[in-house]
Amino acid sequence: MTQTLTEDDIYRTSTQFRLWSFSPESLAALRKQTHDLAITRARQYAVDADIRDGKKDVDCLRRDEELRLVQRYCEQIRTTSDHFKWPVHVKATAVQYLRRFYLSNSVHTYPPKEIYKTVLFLACKTEATHMTLSEYARRISTDPDVILAPEYKIMQALRFTLDVRQPYRGLKGVLMEMLNMANGMVGEVEGVDTKGARELQQDMLTLEHPGTQATTPWKAPGSRKIDGKTLVERINAAYSAARTLLDGPALLTDVHFLYTPSQILLAALHLADEPLASLYLMTKLPLKSDARPKILATIAACADIIGNFSTKQILSKAERADLETRLERCRDPSTKDLVKTHAAAKRGSESDEEVKVQKRKAAREKHQKEGDDLFGPNLGGGRG
Amino acid sequence: MSRLAQPKTSPVIKRDGRMGGGAGGPDGELHNDIRRMNLDQTQSTNADLVATEICPVCKSSRYLNASLRFLVNPECYHKMCESCVDRIFSHGPAPCPIPKCGRTLRKHRFREQTFEDLRVEREVDIRKRVAAVFNKREEDFENLRDYNDHLNDVEDITFNLIEGIDVEETEKRFEAYKQANSREIEENAQMAAHEKQSFTQQQKVERHQAKQRREAARREEEEERREAEENRKDVLKRLASGADADTVAKEGQRVQLRKRMDRQAAAERQRQLQAAEDARNNGSSNFVIKGLKAKTKAEPEEPIDPFGGLRFVDSYYSLQDDYVWEGIQEAKKDVRQTAGGYDVMDYARRSLVAAFSGLGVFVADEVTQRDQVGQDAEAVGTARADIGVKDIGMVDAA
Repeated sequence: MTQTLTEDDIYRTSTQFRLWSFSPESLAALRKQTHDLAITRARQYAVDADIRDGKKDVDCLRRDEELRLVQRYCEQIRTTSDHFKWPVHVKATAVQYLRRFYLSNSVHTYPPKEIYKTVLFLACKTEATHMTLSEYARRISTDPDVILAPEYKIMQALRFTLDVRQPYRGLKGVLMEMLNMANGMVGEVEGVDTKGARELQQDMLTLEHPGTQATTPWKAPGSRKIDGKTLVERINAAYSAARTLLDGPALLTDVHFLYTPSQILLAALHLADEPLASLYLMTKLPLKSDARPKILATIAACADIIGNFSTKQILSKAERADLETRLERCRDPSTKDLVKTHAAAKRGSESDEEVKVQKRKAAREKHQKEGDDLFGPNLGGGRG
Repeated sequence: MSRLAQPKTSPVIKRDGRMGGGAGGPDGELHNDIRRMNLDQTQSTNADLVATEICPVCKSSRYLNASLRFLVNPECYHKMCESCVDRIFSHGPAPCPIPKCGRTLRKHRFREQTFEDLRVEREVDIRKRVAAVFNKREEDFENLRDYNDHLNDVEDITFNLIEGIDVEETEKRFEAYKQANSREIEENAQMAAHEKQSFTQQQKVERHQAKQRREAARREEEEERREAEENRKDVLKRLASGADADTVAKEGQRVQLRKRMDRQAAAERQRQLQAAEDARNNGSSNFVIKGLKAKTKAEPEEPIDPFGGLRFVDSYYSLQDDYVWEGIQEAKKDVRQTAGGYDVMDYARRSLVAAFSGLGVFVADEVTQRDQVGQDAEAVGTARADIGVKDIGMVDAA
């Protein structure tokens, strides 16, 4: 009867794993499918008859252009969230919502310009950092209706799964453990020989310095030996460097679809201070375990993606404006006025309204008639 | 004088006159007589007073004879004074002297009435008689329902006898039961008597033991006093014979102390023996309460497992007792965090779970595998949907 559950099993129960994790191929396939559907639709609603007949190609955004536009708006969400001084998990959730939304929707149908504000508002609600709608609308100088209009559409696209697993809390856990190791305390893991806390502390002190590629700002003091205090500094520096990586590149790439938060955070640590990350993993994965090389390879692959990202990939303002003018020409006209359709959906259709008016009128008449029956004719008539 | 004047218009006589019809009748009529008698009594309190004061046979009153005792015979419940009983019935059975009653009464059956109301007296007698025959116990029955039914039957009989309904019939039933079950009745009666006896015996034994304990304590005290006295005399004698005062005093004290210790040890031994004896006796005491149900000790409930047998296993970390990280340390000291019962280690645990949950999950592999399975399932689902569509079509066609 007793069944055991490991941390991995816990992750497997999450909606993030069940609905929002993909292999690189399936992710690409999904995006292609969405894109192709959008192109087909664009052909149908095109104004130009030649395009409709298939004689001329529709001037749509290419797939990579779509992707970069979404990426640009992820960046936009990050800056807006920072502007509000919201905690990092709101930002991460909002970015992830936007990316998930554009897996099943094309920018041709819903331009990200109209979506990202709503996504950020939704994320601030789900992450319990609530700001009232009016306050939010005022500070980004937008009409509240514009923010609310696509909200239901987004919820549908998210398949009503609002949980986003993030690497930040886990990174804090890692920091906690590394600091303890530096202080000569270690939580033994079954099957791993750490050679004792003292030894591990010594190993940490004599650890080789981070390479030139490492993003950690910590530099080994050249002259003197590393002591406990500088070791703590090194760990803290590695932590903040990893955190910066998780905050920036990790959000702007696809790693959240392809890897688990645990792998992502260790990859970030790997980039920040490789020797430190390796030593830490040494205390976690049994040498003889079969999964060990595979886990290390996965982390390395993830680190590659994060490391290869550069801010140059993000669209500049001019490029974005250019793409959006092109988008404006080929966008889906049916979703142009989201506010109106939203309001109509909320109120019910026009014909419904008419039926209601009729009903009300009939009821009033009936009521009046019954009243007459009950109390006889008007008193005025009797007097006359 | 006024109290003496009243008997002239004695209601007792009047009542006797009215009772005439029921003389010599069976029990039922007697019962009616008694009821009527009591009704009369409630009608006039004066008459009541007189009835308790004056013997209806010889008319001697308590006023003249303070030691006057009234007796009744359960045969007819007519009241008369002790001297009348002596006078009329000392030569053997004789008819009741109350006019129109005439039942044959025997002297040894006369007794003092317990209850003031004769109806109550009679009812209690009848109940005693019935209970002596129907003396089955609850444990003789299979279940409570049967026992209650039996009690109901018994009550029916009792009530009939008391209220005089179908007396002959009831009496017949009663006697028949008595005949048929005489042996059982006897056994039950004996058992009850035995139980009562053993209970009183037990009480007697306990009282005796308490008395003995008290006496022992008193004897001991006396002994001690005597010894102290002796010791003192001894010391004085030795001092008189020229010994060193200090050593003699010390020795005297030592001797006394040793004696006391000895006595205490002996008492302790005695007590232990007694306790052992008691323990032995308790097991095989002749005082047995019968009919107690065998009590089975309830199994202690198992603790509730909210996870239904699911166990969480940490495979990548083990939680340490403390973390030097300042985030943890500060929160530990912060009274705002701890006042509500928040355990900082919950945070540590949660962070560590977050750090490692999914480390061994290879998304690319597992998702591909899952998708294949999912596609198969989807194919089945599609087939089902097709069938559903067909069904709907048929409904529409109909």
